[in-house]
Amino acid sequence: MAMRDLVTGGAACAVPGSSSSSNPFGALANKIIGSSTNQVCGIWTVVAILGLVFAASVVFDTHSYCMWTILKLERLKEIPTLTTTTPDGSFYPGANEPLTMLPGSDFDHQMQPNGQVAQFFQRFRPADEGRLDGVWDEMHNPQPDSLSNLPVMVHPIGVNTRPQSDLEGPPQRVLSSFLHSFVNSGRGGIPLHPTPLPVLGLSEGDKKCIRDRSSIMARHIFADKSEDFINSQVNALLSSLDIDNDIRARGPLPGRFHELDEYWNESQGMLKPGPLPADGWVAEYAQHRVQHGDPNAWAQSFERQHGANGWASEFEHEQSQIASLNPMGGANISNLAAMEQTRMLAHTLAQNNDPKFQVNSKFLQFVSKMSRGEIFIEDNQVKPTAVSAPGDWATEYQQQHDGGHAWADQFVHDKAMDILGVLLSHGPDGWANEFAAERELHGSIDDQWVNEFSKLNVQDWADEFGRQVGEGALGESSTDNWANAYDDFTQKEHASSLSPNSALSFIFLLLHETFGESMDSYLNEQVASKQRSDTSRGVYEFSDMNPYVGRPNPLKEGQELFRKGLLSEAVLAFEAEVLKSPDNAEGWRLLGMAHAENDDDQQAIAAMMRAQEVDPTNLEVLLALGVSHTNELEQPAALKYLYSWLRHHPKYGTLAQPEMSDSLYYADVARLFNDAAQMSPEDADVHIVLGVLFNLSREYDKAIASFKTALVLKPRDYSLWNKLGATQANSVQSADAIEAYQQALDLKPNYVRAWANMGISYANQGMYEESIRYYVRALAMNPKADNAWQYLRISLSCASRDDMVKACDSRNLDILQKEFPL
Amino acid sequence: MAKSSELKSEALLEQMKLHLSSDAGKHLTKKIGLVYQLNIAPKKIGFNEDIYVVDLKKGEVKKGPYEDGKPDAIFSFTDEDFFKIASGKMNPQIAFMRGAMKVKGSLSAAQKFTPDIFPKPSKM
Repeated sequence: MAMRDLVTGGAACAVPGSSSSSNPFGALANKIIGSSTNQVCGIWTVVAILGLVFAASVVFDTHSYCMWTILKLERLKEIPTLTTTTPDGSFYPGANEPLTMLPGSDFDHQMQPNGQVAQFFQRFRPADEGRLDGVWDEMHNPQPDSLSNLPVMVHPIGVNTRPQSDLEGPPQRVLSSFLHSFVNSGRGGIPLHPTPLPVLGLSEGDKKCIRDRSSIMARHIFADKSEDFINSQVNALLSSLDIDNDIRARGPLPGRFHELDEYWNESQGMLKPGPLPADGWVAEYAQHRVQHGDPNAWAQSFERQHGANGWASEFEHEQSQIASLNPMGGANISNLAAMEQTRMLAHTLAQNNDPKFQVNSKFLQFVSKMSRGEIFIEDNQVKPTAVSAPGDWATEYQQQHDGGHAWADQFVHDKAMDILGVLLSHGPDGWANEFAAERELHGSIDDQWVNEFSKLNVQDWADEFGRQVGEGALGESSTDNWANAYDDFTQKEHASSLSPNSALSFIFLLLHETFGESMDSYLNEQVASKQRSDTSRGVYEFSDMNPYVGRPNPLKEGQELFRKGLLSEAVLAFEAEVLKSPDNAEGWRLLGMAHAENDDDQQAIAAMMRAQEVDPTNLEVLLALGVSHTNELEQPAALKYLYSWLRHHPKYGTLAQPEMSDSLYYADVARLFNDAAQMSPEDADVHIVLGVLFNLSREYDKAIASFKTALVLKPRDYSLWNKLGATQANSVQSADAIEAYQQALDLKPNYVRAWANMGISYANQGMYEESIRYYVRALAMNPKADNAWQYLRISLSCASRDDMVKACDSRNLDILQKEFPL
Repeated sequence: MAKSSELKSEALLEQMKLHLSSDAGKHLTKKIGLVYQLNIAPKKIGFNEDIYVVDLKKGEVKKGPYEDGKPDAIFSFTDEDFFKIASGKMNPQIAFMRGAMKVKGSLSAAQKFTPDIFPKPSKM
């Protein structure tokens, strides 16, 4: 019962006056520990009381005898009645109780006369605008533990801001608040920093008492922390209080704990961007109040939503989040970010004086719950096994996706950015319903997924997925597919496809008007990014309407179109060819080439991969794949294909060592190609590959030299001129690059990639008007070149042509071409 | 020089170094004049992060944390997401809302963190 001795201030404390009669806290501890057969539980209960006491802001009224002789008697008599109901193992009292039995309901009555409520709130936030007080006063059922549930978020702020306000004044106050920070610091796992305190006039006895007890108590308060952490906490406390520290040898001062310092900064940093979470809570509360009039109604509505055990689960949820924060220094802080986000949103909405926002409290509630739903999904870690039945998922997704369009339409009609119009057209109930439906979707289906999925054969699923994508075969290996499908699934789950998510974005856009982009373009981007995420998996995307399907010889037609430079048409013809005969490697290869020249590397890669599947040794295909992956900065893949090129080359294949292909190092591959170049310096292809390799390692000067060598041998290769230009552009020789591109365009006037590259080079020289003309030209030939649209938009804004941004966002080429003729 | 990591971001930021010396790059430092720190993780935010500083005050890109005080904003993302954002394939705000990008520091500084500041790679 060392714990009891410690707390009761027995033999260990030689300070006069700290007998058990004047140490009510000790008496309390006696009562609890004595009545508990489980000592650990007793200790936890004491700690729980501490937490509760702090949360309820019973300010330590120190008599400077001993840090634990601090509570006034009259307040204490409340505490046993609160804690006796605490179930074993429950850290915070009241966790499993229904709302009406929440502890602390008579606390404010007790505290009002002391004026400590205000102090309490001031410690949360010195610059309080009185909102918290106001809310507090109107609360008939305050929940102290809903504050103490958020110690990580709440207390650091208190710790942080307190020195300004509390380090002045009488010594008792200083000591008291400092001890507060010491105790509180443990819960967020935040290291206490030694703080210079004013002279407190502690006697040697006081000091000894504080030293002895703090070092022992610290081991209980911070029971879940490491020994080093505890030592550093105690050392910081003692050194701040100018107490001679004979346990110093046991642990270094916190100043030397770099990781702890970082950790401190990180937790502080985390708190900075958003408003205080406590505010979020208050805001939420304020919203509920407006809605229901009195807190009981709120409680009822909460119960309606979450069932009778709602509180407990909510509490557990909060707890688990906090727990995840505590252990290893906020590794999981990210999990809170989304919640923070919504809190911030709720806060901003609450601050808005517009009464209509206040009335739409259900909406607000919905918004905040929604992001929690998102978290649930993340926490549940919807594993590949939990992927829903594909059919269901597809339809579901489709519906939600359509919802997104509805949003876009609505936005277009609501150019006045009148959010209320949108909101009211749904009506608050509509929101609630939608929210409920959403919950349904995420909540109950979670379990169903697993069940449903277990019935499904894996292969069936893969097949069905393949059909959906529009072709039989999938990418490289089936494991990849699974991983990709899963990624895709989660991505879509998070993406705008969920209409509430769009709603959230929508408000976000309104709240920060710096998000100047219209909803329209935002959705376009979403749709586009979805398409891209599909192609990045190496799955080829076919066009919807293809007039060449069904023609007798689309390959020949495609070649003709390609020769004429009608790249987009050629693409369609080649697509028709490979749809007709999927094993035609040449069809796939030409399709890939057309895409590459059309400035679409993703599709080029997808097509070339199919070509390589059919014909794994085609050198042109391998080189094209190497180039496209280099463009996409995918070094390992690029290296793989370039090495394959060498390995399958009839002349240089002997250079390659078969065992190398498993682990490719850039230097080895480069060396092999240098050997090859020495073998036959007249082979332009070797120099081309070398040039690509030097691009990969960003040795642009060598790359330029290689391409120039190759150009001497192959002066009419327009793609080679473009390669030279791109390399020069990437090494900031934009003027030279433009000359090279011009050479390419002279040889092949409809070379979209070269036009787009021209635009980039002009933009890089700050000649934005010029760059716009080239981008528009490239886009006129291939309106699907997403990169070029993106670049055009940037150039428009850099050239202060905001009047044209709208035309860019709606991809209106007629207007753009008229405005920017070349 | 020949040593290169498998992070796309490294390649992109190497290009960024050169890009900042171009006219467009100088335009950027004039227009933005902020210091961003990027924490780029290969797979999962917060794990094995590579730290880069994109200093649009001085027009520099450096590996390692910022040492001359505090950056205006710190971003954390995975390599893939950073690449998507920097190449304009993902809107930073949307990345932020999805939790694909974490931001610390000044919000107004963070809002100037757009694809515009990154180099547009020319394609071979």
